[in-house]
Amino acid sequence: MITEMISTLFNGSYVAMLGAALAALAGIGSAKGVGIAGEAASAVVAEDPKKFGQALILQALPGTQGIYGLLIAFLIMLKIGLLGGNGMLPVTTEQGLYIFAAALPIFIVGIISGIAQGKAAASAIMLIAKRPEEIAKGMVYTAMVETYAVLALLISFLMLNGIQVG
Amino acid sequence: MAIVRMQKLSAIGLVSGKETLMEQLMKLGVVQLNIQDSKLNNEDWADLVSLDENDAAVAKIEDRMGKAYQALEAIAKYETVKKSLFHTRRKMQRELFQKLAEENQTVESQIGRINEAFEGITELINEANKIEVAKLALLPWKDYNLPLNTKGTKYCDLIRGVIPAAASLPKLQEAMEEKTPCYDLQLVASDAEQQYISLLYLKKEKNEIEDVLRQFGFSPSQGLEFEGEPQQAISAYEQQTEKIKEQIQELEKKIQKEQDGKHNIEVYYDSLAIKKDRALIRHRLLVTNRTFYLEGWTPKVAAEKVAKLLEENNCWFEITDPDKGEETPVLMQNGVFSAPFEAVTKLYALPDSRGIDPTPYFSFFYALFFGMMLSDAAYGLIIAAATFIILKKYPLEGMMGQLMKMFFYCGISTMFWGILFGGYFGDIVTVVAKTFFDADVVVPAVWFNPLDEPMKMLTFSFILGGIHLFLGMGVSGYMSIRDGRPWDALFDVGLWYILLIGLVLWLGGKMAALVGPTGTNIGMWMTIVGAVGILITGGRDKKGLGKLTGGLGSLYGITGYLADVLSYSRLLALGLATGVIASVINTLGSLAGGGIGGAILLTIVFVIGHAYNLSINALGSFVHSSRLQYVEFFGKFYESGGEAFQPFYENTKYVEISREEN
Repeated sequence: MITEMISTLFNGSYVAMLGAALAALAGIGSAKGVGIAGEAASAVVAEDPKKFGQALILQALPGTQGIYGLLIAFLIMLKIGLLGGNGMLPVTTEQGLYIFAAALPIFIVGIISGIAQGKAAASAIMLIAKRPEEIAKGMVYTAMVETYAVLALLISFLMLNGIQVG
Repeated sequence: MAIVRMQKLSAIGLVSGKETLMEQLMKLGVVQLNIQDSKLNNEDWADLVSLDENDAAVAKIEDRMGKAYQALEAIAKYETVKKSLFHTRRKMQRELFQKLAEENQTVESQIGRINEAFEGITELINEANKIEVAKLALLPWKDYNLPLNTKGTKYCDLIRGVIPAAASLPKLQEAMEEKTPCYDLQLVASDAEQQYISLLYLKKEKNEIEDVLRQFGFSPSQGLEFEGEPQQAISAYEQQTEKIKEQIQELEKKIQKEQDGKHNIEVYYDSLAIKKDRALIRHRLLVTNRTFYLEGWTPKVAAEKVAKLLEENNCWFEITDPDKGEETPVLMQNGVFSAPFEAVTKLYALPDSRGIDPTPYFSFFYALFFGMMLSDAAYGLIIAAATFIILKKYPLEGMMGQLMKMFFYCGISTMFWGILFGGYFGDIVTVVAKTFFDADVVVPAVWFNPLDEPMKMLTFSFILGGIHLFLGMGVSGYMSIRDGRPWDALFDVGLWYILLIGLVLWLGGKMAALVGPTGTNIGMWMTIVGAVGILITGGRDKKGLGKLTGGLGSLYGITGYLADVLSYSRLLALGLATGVIASVINTLGSLAGGGIGGAILLTIVFVIGHAYNLSINALGSFVHSSRLQYVEFFGKFYESGGEAFQPFYENTKYVEISREEN
């Protein structure tokens, strides 16, 4: 009974799917980040509705972590044959764990950098409240945070790319 | 030279010719007049000259401009004509402009009519709001069936008011019963905060009743003085509101009737703006009884024209080159391709006048990186086509025009990379062929598909990054040489070139057999020479122990170069993001399979999904391409902090006055 449960838990496909799920959870960071930025944006737009467009651009910036997570999740699903219509490929426990490990960078960095970027975006929105002409600087400050999500995405992607399944 | 060379100008003329000269200078529009506060604070000057100003005239003009602006805003608000997406200026011949500008009277009376109507609307809206408030106060009483101005009878008082929702009505009744049986309490309505009650009692028991009421927090309702029952009052208010709405509509129509005259008001506004600027510029002139003095800057290329103009106006003048190291206003001038990218430089900060305009150096890379990060031929085509159409349709000026042109080039670049990497709306061709025709079609990448060979793409990104960084360092070296410090160029740039190239050769040869053993050896020696050189020269400006630590510190800067190069990995990552999300969208769209239903689903998902993907990734590409310039590239050499060149010119808002060619 217990061995059966354990073998199900460590079933390769299952572990790989867990990895895909984790990668998609990077969206938590984006959700939080975009939320933080959105609160700041509303406050600024309340004063000056003309700043809607500018504030929206800045609010969108922390949204990318979710996209990166989705990207990795999608690639994992492709890799194990969940998408594509040819049925699932056999995944060994070892391969499943590899895939799981590959999902970790974007999962963890995605969440944390998403929130941090949201805060940076919120202050950039405060910046355009006073000096709308300086939006580019606010964007660059915000994008500085994203670098680390990009690096995590890269590592997740390269790790995943190195794993052979099927 | 990408920063326009400026020359210093100072001139003295006769006051009698001042107005004509100012008018002609404004038309020419190439001279920046300086503020002369420092001269006024200088004793030698202060005794001789005073500031020429005319604030009263400025205030009068501003007042008229304000009215014209209000009228234009009113028209814009109620206009029936479709509004243009972008603000552009109309082109107009100078003769026509002047002729129209002279028709003051008709335009002013028109402005008067519009503003009167607009103010009327504002008043009516206020009135309607007041009525709405009164109506809201009445609403709880709508089921009350006595006229609201009934005060009672000979022996009885009738009062209406509210008690808090928390107060208990039965308890109030109980308390009343204790005092007297002669009363009538009605609950008319209740909401979350209050209970609305009406109370009839005997006049002689007024004091006792009031005591009880006070305990329960009763407060009499104010402002319910209306003849007739509440229901009637409410409908009367509603009728009034209707009437006001009609009146507002009439006034709106009045404004709409004037909308054809909008162009005339715009001309009127612009001619006033020119007059105002001409009055304001006097703040920058110094005068004596008969003469005036001005100082300013003009681009060297325009100096001849300015000189001719001053000569014609019988001025004494001097046009000289700036002193060495003197700061001048900054005006950038670039070729057709690079000019739009000035927008990116301006968004960062203008270059120092003694520095260098980075625009021509990064413009190509900007478009290149943007294209690599978006890397979808279809997206590129959409961007290029959209910006092209906008530019054809609207003569956009300034920052907006520059950005549009820049995105046009970026769109072309995106198309180019999309074709190289085989991205057309992601893999839409493959998906459609598979879903609807059950065929395996793959649009081959002309070069390679980064999704299949990510390492190749990563290496390529790093190589491009390396070239970009080396170019930045090269510009820095060029600046050092230009400023007469060739040794700095050798030590700070040359040695790094040797070290970095050597390192790449050495490590590449050792680890990946990139070059033969000779190459590896050369690389090793270059590394050593470079590293030792930097160690020795890095602290040359410091004293004592600082010489040693300075060298170490400089050498430690190699981590910075590593980080800079790694930063270019975003070219791969963002390119992947576009491609993979596009195929996610296509996969989602194909979930319903073939047939008509599938086609409908695919179309919907396709349109929404790709619109989203395009906008979010175009934004990402814009931001990250900018970042690569601002942080990695500018960090190597850029000196910012210049003041923009602000010529005295006809700064109009609605009309572009065509220049006469002479």
